[in-house]
Amino acid sequence: MNSEAQAIKGVGTPATRMYGLMAIVALGWVLLGGLIFTPEDAVQGDAVRIMYVHVPTAWVAYLAFIVTGVASACWMIGKKHSLGFDRVAGASAEVGVVFMGMTLLSGSLWGRITWGTFWVWDPRLTTTAFMFVTYIGYLAVRGLGGTAQQRARRSSVIALLAVLEIPLVHFSVVMWRSLHQRATVLSPDGDIKMDGLMLFTLLFGVFGFSVLFAWLVSHRQRIMTMQDAQQTSALDAAVTERLKEAQV
Amino acid sequence: MDLTPRTSSDNAPLAPRKRNRKWKYVAMLVVVASAGGFIVSQFLTSAIDFYCNVDEIGHRTGCEANRRLRVQGVVEKDSLKSGAGRTTFVMVFNHQSIDVMYDGDPGGIFQECIPVVAHGRLVGDIFEANRIEVKHSNQYVAANPDRLAQSKAEPCSQQAG
Repeated sequence: MNSEAQAIKGVGTPATRMYGLMAIVALGWVLLGGLIFTPEDAVQGDAVRIMYVHVPTAWVAYLAFIVTGVASACWMIGKKHSLGFDRVAGASAEVGVVFMGMTLLSGSLWGRITWGTFWVWDPRLTTTAFMFVTYIGYLAVRGLGGTAQQRARRSSVIALLAVLEIPLVHFSVVMWRSLHQRATVLSPDGDIKMDGLMLFTLLFGVFGFSVLFAWLVSHRQRIMTMQDAQQTSALDAAVTERLKEAQV
Repeated sequence: MDLTPRTSSDNAPLAPRKRNRKWKYVAMLVVVASAGGFIVSQFLTSAIDFYCNVDEIGHRTGCEANRRLRVQGVVEKDSLKSGAGRTTFVMVFNHQSIDVMYDGDPGGIFQECIPVVAHGRLVGDIFEANRIEVKHSNQYVAANPDRLAQSKAEPCSQQAG
């Protein structure tokens, strides 16, 4: 094992343990607030409670893909082409795909109750589905093989192109006619039309899921470091073995 | 120098397993590319021009009265009638209205004074819909019996949707 792998005894650190604790507390409140303390919506009734999962997971998916894009740019721009950036990009994309999947699933359930249909090919849903598929493609490209630097080079180009989809998805409800409602919290006029406790629980949900994202990415990128180290050590062992054979 | 993983007499060769793993990702990329192509086609054929407003029927390109349409408007107050497996209502937008007939219960949170998108064809003066989707707003207000009673007393036909 090389020194990088030896340095990591596990994937937990005081920081990740703190993230985990904060996520449990915040999401515990979202669970209680979302199901018990917040009121029903005047039009949607109890269906509005899906919002406390749907909106934060969508936000975290955006955040994850932005982190992937920024980390990929850092790998590309940096003179050392540090693989740490590439691992953060990969870990963030993996978590982002999971959260985007949760967004699509929760949105589909919400749509069935309110719109009367699980799915419709409107601009918001269509662009979101496209972004979801793009990042699955990104993860597939990462698994194609080659050295870690080759993986980083390939995937960073895709990440920098894919991140441009985020404004397209977010503003799709403004640019085109959509069945999906326009943004409430990030509305262009800055007027948030939401009950106070609903808004508080929603923002707490965004915070809780963001901390959960940080916790998951921290662990995942450290596991990736160990996997890369293992691959490198296996290659080192093979080289040493062949050199020994040549000397005999 | 040849660094191809060795085969051993006890175990299966390692190299083919690695190659299989690579093919798994290649297959995944093919599926992703196909799904991406399908989504783009849906975007160009459906999403980019999702509906026509009531006042645009016959006046806007793509909203010709003789073709299948998706029409958006607000369900007019006191116009909703349900019975014998049929729902009829008046849909309004920008001071223009259209009678809508739908076989069945629209589902969702369908009600008066809410924007909807109806899929169907114009037959005479009646829009025969075979699918209705409810388009709820981006406002979230706590349920309040007093407020509901107050809002029910107000007309809703000029909502923008």
